[in-house]
Amino acid sequence: MAMTTEGPKPASRGAGAEGRLQTEEMILNVGPQHPATHGVFRLLATIDGEILINAEPVIGYMHRGYEKLVEQRDYRQITNLVSRMDWLSGINNELPLAMAVEQLMEIEVPPRAQYLRVILCEMNRILNHLMFFASFGAELGAITPTFYAFREREDIQRVMEATTGGRMHFGFFRPGGLKEDVPRGFVDEALKGVRQVIERLPDYENLLVGNEIFKQRTIDVGVLDREAAYSYGVTGPIARGSGIDMDIRKDEPYLVYDKFDFDVCSAPNGDCFDRFWVLVGEVGESARIVEQAIEDLPPGPIMGKVPRVVQAPAGEVYVRTENPLGELGMYLVSDGDRRPYRLKIRTPSYSNVSALSHVLANTYVSDMIAILGSFFFVLGDIDR
Amino acid sequence: MTRPGAITPPEALDRVEETLGPWVEEHKLNFGAVDFICKPENLVRVMRRLRDSEHLGCVFFTFLSGVDRSELGEGGGGLEVLIHVYSPEFAIHVTVHVPVDPAAPECPSISGIYKGALWHERETHEMFGILFPGHPHLTTLYLPEDFEGHPMLRSFKLPTRVVKAWPGAKDPEEAAAGGR
Amino acid sequence: MFDITLATWQILVIKVLVILTVVPLGALVGGYAEHKVMAHLQHRLGPMYPGGWHGWATTLADGIKFLLKEDIIPAAADRKVFSFAPAAIMVPIIMTYLVIPIDRNLVIEDLDVGLFYLLAIGSLSTIGLLMAGWSSANKYALIGALRSAAQLIAYELPIVLAAAVVAMLAGSLSLIDIVEAQNFPFAVWPPGIGLVAFLLFTIGAVAEMTRVPFDMPVAESEIITGPFTEYSGMRYIFSHMFAEMGHMVAFGGIAATLFLGGYKPIVPLRILEFIPGVFWFAGKTMFMIFLFLWIRPTFPRVREDQLQKFAWKFLIPVGLVLILATGAWVLYV
Repeated sequence: MAMTTEGPKPASRGAGAEGRLQTEEMILNVGPQHPATHGVFRLLATIDGEILINAEPVIGYMHRGYEKLVEQRDYRQITNLVSRMDWLSGINNELPLAMAVEQLMEIEVPPRAQYLRVILCEMNRILNHLMFFASFGAELGAITPTFYAFREREDIQRVMEATTGGRMHFGFFRPGGLKEDVPRGFVDEALKGVRQVIERLPDYENLLVGNEIFKQRTIDVGVLDREAAYSYGVTGPIARGSGIDMDIRKDEPYLVYDKFDFDVCSAPNGDCFDRFWVLVGEVGESARIVEQAIEDLPPGPIMGKVPRVVQAPAGEVYVRTENPLGELGMYLVSDGDRRPYRLKIRTPSYSNVSALSHVLANTYVSDMIAILGSFFFVLGDIDR
Repeated sequence: MTRPGAITPPEALDRVEETLGPWVEEHKLNFGAVDFICKPENLVRVMRRLRDSEHLGCVFFTFLSGVDRSELGEGGGGLEVLIHVYSPEFAIHVTVHVPVDPAAPECPSISGIYKGALWHERETHEMFGILFPGHPHLTTLYLPEDFEGHPMLRSFKLPTRVVKAWPGAKDPEEAAAGGR
Repeated sequence: MFDITLATWQILVIKVLVILTVVPLGALVGGYAEHKVMAHLQHRLGPMYPGGWHGWATTLADGIKFLLKEDIIPAAADRKVFSFAPAAIMVPIIMTYLVIPIDRNLVIEDLDVGLFYLLAIGSLSTIGLLMAGWSSANKYALIGALRSAAQLIAYELPIVLAAAVVAMLAGSLSLIDIVEAQNFPFAVWPPGIGLVAFLLFTIGAVAEMTRVPFDMPVAESEIITGPFTEYSGMRYIFSHMFAEMGHMVAFGGIAATLFLGGYKPIVPLRILEFIPGVFWFAGKTMFMIFLFLWIRPTFPRVREDQLQKFAWKFLIPVGLVLILATGAWVLYV
């Protein structure tokens, strides 16, 4: 079966006098309500038949003005606010805020809290990645992966719920440590959950990655080259799918990531398949980290020495962490108050999606869906 | 376990000083990042040098935003544009502060150098009212087109906070200062 | 068997009644099967409550729900064409049921050119899809309609070629004759040729029904539901759900007739003949339907251009070669 993937060629448009068929471009409004956009996201697509000439993402439908809101609230409230940015990885969003305050206040976080932070963040990463595994399959018309992924998600989700009390918005990290210690049985349940993921990962790969139609749909589709990825500030699985081996957990280990043995997944081609490949690979690496962290989990307190009222001293700090979707950075300007003077939140989806129009030009309409799906974005993370 | 080829922050500071010397002021290290002030007229030159110099190689665009320092107390200042770039090759973080005139805020666009700045500049434009000459399409990104005001300026008060005291306040003076 | 004489009009009424019972029943059962088979393939239970036992009344409840819903016609739509399109889609599908022989003497109309009739009628619903897509005044519907028209034309050919193989082997266009010619089902004998023709037909059938992996025209993650985007209530269920299920059952029956030996036992043994032909036919049809249902949760969707390339550059050449091979087989074996 020779189905080579060639770049689409726009139909010849020209004077009808020459006897050629006269065609017209059509503007297709994808969204704000559309099944493939995972939320209120709009894409102004100029199409010529099945060919997408260009596409301009339009965002802002759920902009909540977090950067303004945080200036009115103190740090314990902000924890819950930032948790709602990227609703698939709530606990990962809380981390840079806690770290930024800790760095300004020079609080030392006890090792047990650091280990638990790593465990929870990585479990959240597994949840997030499985979600995108599911949705990417669904966008390409494969409905079964959704149910497979949700089966595994549920086991881990239950552990997270028992620990933090929340399923999406955890609100568990505090400047200085954690809200409380993990419940009894956490270690066993968490280990069981991640081991199951490791065990079933080959099934996932067989289900989608090994499928011929899936390969046809994704290989060489939506290529994001290295230079563009750098220039747009693309990070996370998408950047690593373009051959960029940047992973903050490895480059500038925060928490206790330097104590674990894990690999940075990356793939060279920058197409949809590589992005997806990296995503699936990272699930396994995260599961490995959780396993190691649980084995070494030290006893001890879970909260550092923190004054009753958290007031970050005047100063500026930029903290970056590896969110499941890429670099989540917070630039905190403090004037010594209990509220931040200015908190610039650099979210991964925002920068990643800004590269969309670059990738979408001159593709097929059907590829548009594959590309949107492989850009792994969360609307709340773009619109903050 | 850092990036291969990474250099220490003091080394990075030296390199930035060497490469950008006369165009930047007050370079210092802040939590491992090279931090300096750059005048708007030098910005494009500085950013291009940052990206293209083989000693720096800051090809990765992290973010661009604004800070309104007018209420920061002593040593505060006015409006500034904040740019952060990163060098994957040498693991250098560079934070650029570009002070702009609060009366007529204007900062040259760097979207020709870093494409990622396209959206960030639009956001900064609508939130702080800063103009970016050279930007190909400087329209609103988040806000509706007919929105009045620039929400991220300190002078823009959240209406609810003015009308109603902050419900989370514990101390009386805090509630009064709610709408700051 | 029975010694009853009926007037022509009475026979006609009975035939119409039978068809109008069988088709919705088939669609309902097909819909239920789809729910359940897919659920169990995806380690779910599927609907469990409506009707009590394993949710048997799900599709019935669904149908009633859709019938009671408001029928919305967009303001910009071409009202006449828009309202007529579901009928134009549905009628050809119902008409295919006319010639499928359920048993040796149990067929509504034994046409001499039954196979030809099937192929001719089968491609008529394309017009309905185009009507629906164009009259909706919706860009997604338009793209969907054009996609489905292109797809039905492309995949009609492999079906025709596969059917031609069957006609050559049986030496007749009458479906009864075709079944009678199969001592062993055509899918097994002649070796190779029959199987390839069967696969060709199955692939073509899946594409005709616009089901995964060939569901580009109604790809819900891209163009909502293609031509049916603007439809709601009764028109939606008739043009989309009902048509798809009716189509599936019809294709199951056609494939069972053409390739699996219809109402005859799978192997020509006397001992198997005591089982009535109806059961053989129903079993084979169910097997085909299960096959169609199985394909859906297994594959992702093929892209529009790949879909066309697959038809024109692979399936049709294979079909043409197959015709040659069949000719050689009929002449020399």
